[in-house]
Amino acid sequence: MSYSAPIDEKQLVADLHDPKKAHGAFDTLMRKYGEQIYWQIRRMVTNHEDANDLLQNCFMKAWNNLDNFRGEAKLSTWLYKIAVNETLNFLNKERQHGDMVSNSEDFNVLDTLESDEYFDGDEMQIEFQKAIASLPEKQRLVFNMRYFDDMKYEKISDILGTSVGALKSSYHHAVKKITAMLS
Amino acid sequence: MNEEERLIDKYGKNTGMKVPDGYFEAVFSEISANLPEYKHTRAVVEMTLWQRVKPYVYLAAMFAGIWLMMKVFHDASHVGDMSLDNPPDQIALAMSDKSIRDEFVMPDYSQDFELEDDVIGSYSDISDFERDFGYKFDSRYVKLKLD
Repeated sequence: MSYSAPIDEKQLVADLHDPKKAHGAFDTLMRKYGEQIYWQIRRMVTNHEDANDLLQNCFMKAWNNLDNFRGEAKLSTWLYKIAVNETLNFLNKERQHGDMVSNSEDFNVLDTLESDEYFDGDEMQIEFQKAIASLPEKQRLVFNMRYFDDMKYEKISDILGTSVGALKSSYHHAVKKITAMLS
Repeated sequence: MNEEERLIDKYGKNTGMKVPDGYFEAVFSEISANLPEYKHTRAVVEMTLWQRVKPYVYLAAMFAGIWLMMKVFHDASHVGDMSLDNPPDQIALAMSDKSIRDEFVMPDYSQDFELEDDVIGSYSDISDFERDFGYKFDSRYVKLKLD
């Protein structure tokens, strides 16, 4: 069950630092933001099994680093940052192992998608994913956050540490590239 | 319609990716169950009012100290100039006060009998006095003898 009700973030942060309440607060945190985080990871790695592993790693890292979260940023921003780092590290490792060579990345995505039992998209959706996979990783992150999640540029900026202007430009170019590839 | 709107119109926002039934409930429960013991000791500490204002108080104290130091240096460097010909502000102010000036600087003529004697002694006729000082005595005193 995911939580859609608004939560008192300040109270949640305080509870996360309270040994007696931390487990419960962390469960609330996962159910509040876990689904968004999962889809962010899944759209990058496309495969459910990999996304599942990364989601679990992401929350384990968050739990082990609760002390480092001082409440300066929003909890969701902090979780997205961890998820982005985990995902990019995973993709780098995959590429280094030769499982995902950048030149043939789009075909790899196509293979992964078609072989994933948790994908039931049609030909158009496969083509669309193939076009997205042709973008450089960071541009793909920006495109996914903006296109699928309607995330504000300011929040993407907080997560990726890139200026709003650069993000707007990156998204604009991503849309152009995808459009050109699909036409 | 711009390029982004055309993409949304044609491909929508559904990726075709799915998750197993009940996946999120299961994975969150699994993560919760596998969380290690809570080992964090650092608690969120609310800052007291003093902790919040302390930097500003220190800053104000520093500026006050600098001002005081400059004032002391300034005053000390002007002691040599102090004289009646070139009085500092305080002396000038005191001099503008009539009571202080009369008491400490100017002689009190009402008490200066020697001067009175000199004045009286230098005139034998009251008309001479009236001429020198441009003063007209009352008619009752015109016939008075000065000595």
